[in-house]
Amino acid sequence: MFARCLIVALLVVATAAAEDVPPDDVGRSLTLPERTDHWVWLDEPLFRHAMLFDGDSGEVLGTVDQLGSLTGRHPHVSRQRGETYVMETFYARGHRGERRDFITIYDSRTLQVIGEVEIPPRTADVGHGLWLGAVLDDERFFVVFNQEPANSVSVVDLESRRFVGEITTAGCALVYPAGPRRFGMLCGNGTALLVELDEEGREKRQATSEPFFDVVTDPVTEKGVRDGDRWLFASFEGYLHAVDFSGDTPKPEAPWSLFTDAQRADDWRVGGLQHIALHRPTGRLFSVVHQGGKGTHKDAGSEIWVYDLKRRERIQVIEPPSLLGVFLRRITGIDPDSWSAWLLETLIPSPGAHSVVVTRDEKPLLFVRHRETGAAGVFDARSGEFLRYLEETGLGGAAMVVP
Amino acid sequence: MTAIDQWVEAAARQMARRVGRRGFLSRLGRAIAGGAIVLPLLPVARGIASSVPHNASGRDPDLPGDEGDPTKCEYWRHCSIDGFLCSCCGGSQTACPPGTEMAPVSWIGTCRNPADGRDYAIWYNDCCGRGMCGRCFCNRNEGDRPIYHPYRSNDVNWCAGASSQIYHCSTALIIGLAEETQPEK
Repeated sequence: MFARCLIVALLVVATAAAEDVPPDDVGRSLTLPERTDHWVWLDEPLFRHAMLFDGDSGEVLGTVDQLGSLTGRHPHVSRQRGETYVMETFYARGHRGERRDFITIYDSRTLQVIGEVEIPPRTADVGHGLWLGAVLDDERFFVVFNQEPANSVSVVDLESRRFVGEITTAGCALVYPAGPRRFGMLCGNGTALLVELDEEGREKRQATSEPFFDVVTDPVTEKGVRDGDRWLFASFEGYLHAVDFSGDTPKPEAPWSLFTDAQRADDWRVGGLQHIALHRPTGRLFSVVHQGGKGTHKDAGSEIWVYDLKRRERIQVIEPPSLLGVFLRRITGIDPDSWSAWLLETLIPSPGAHSVVVTRDEKPLLFVRHRETGAAGVFDARSGEFLRYLEETGLGGAAMVVP
Repeated sequence: MTAIDQWVEAAARQMARRVGRRGFLSRLGRAIAGGAIVLPLLPVARGIASSVPHNASGRDPDLPGDEGDPTKCEYWRHCSIDGFLCSCCGGSQTACPPGTEMAPVSWIGTCRNPADGRDYAIWYNDCCGRGMCGRCFCNRNEGDRPIYHPYRSNDVNWCAGASSQIYHCSTALIIGLAEETQPEK
């Protein structure tokens, strides 16, 4: 009798509870909130996607795929068109069969695929994933660096969503946007190449600079940053080169040293993956640095040095947080507020950071990332104050893009 | 220095040794493999002197420790490698794992053999046609150059020259004594 009463009572309670919670709609998908200046895309090469984070909250907002490449080809954004582009490679049967390459077009608000443009199946596949493609300045044309292994550039008209043509760029690599109809490249003979397009996106002219670096003894890294019409490139030995692409011919400027003689004597050098970042409004350059010998140009940096470009001097030093600690905390499921988490993040030495990127606004955030864990952290780029981690960014990856 | 300081320092040193570019996180199978391209065969030919016998697969008999072990990042031929070691993936330092195809072109390193003190030109031909092996990731960059200098760049997916561009792992083949010394030496 008692059991029967209990069952009845439970049914009544369950019915009441069901009535208290309204049923959910099936089939809903969210759209992104209004864009802020503090968003960042993070590549994840093992999961083959890029994930969009809000640097202010640390939360994930959405994901796009990036299939068919070694370490991912990061998203590119046209704010004017409200579109996001990813260069992808597909094989007919997974890892086998005919190869076809596409620019996949996403709506930047819904992250729905809204189109695609097929391009020659020669898109470059490079470990660092940087400057393999670019949206040119008025956001009509998208250029793709090809390597098969011969070098060339494919041009896509974003307005008509069609492939325009391919431009031969023998001996020169990567694409650095430098205007509505022009982009730069770096060449194996120590020069820079300017490629100019006509109004239809076809090749108009090419022009080569004088040699400005030695490819063998002190090459510039290909991880440049844009400063208006100029691009800045750091050399392996720590000299900052600038190339002006605004004229008829690329004009290299005299390099200057990022290190004093004393710092060089202490073996400080630049290095990492995406190892320099520029905040144009304040003229501040962020450079990942470490102490090491020749051949360590891809090692993580123990510090981030901040330079005033006008004064050409270091004005601040930022130390990356323990990105290994937060990575281990997440994969082991340790509560972030626990003593174990504190111990992990405090006692495990920081492995440093490989990459930096900074937002473009007046209250900029600096994002730092460690390649082998993919872990990332957020700083106030002006004060250097550490703000937060970006949690569970994946299992690896270094590239970051501010859309 | 307190006992805690000493313990923390010891832990830090031990961890620092473990988490470097050859660290255990790499061994988890992190990507960022390296690949390959082009290959101006001309520069290759210039870099090689007379032919020397190819080494068979397996351990280098004259070298004790990790410098003689092709499953280790410290193996002497790996001075400019970037990828998963084929010796850990069912292949060897000179042969691809079953079912994969060796790309015909690659980037080149110049590594000093501690057994005889001589510099050798090394081809890091990638094995292609299967997904990433995920074992024994190794990234060393002695002599590596940016991708505008492709035949010295370990960042490129060198499977570009094979019938499938899907990267699996990297070998390290001796192609001869090097005439040119490594830029870092």
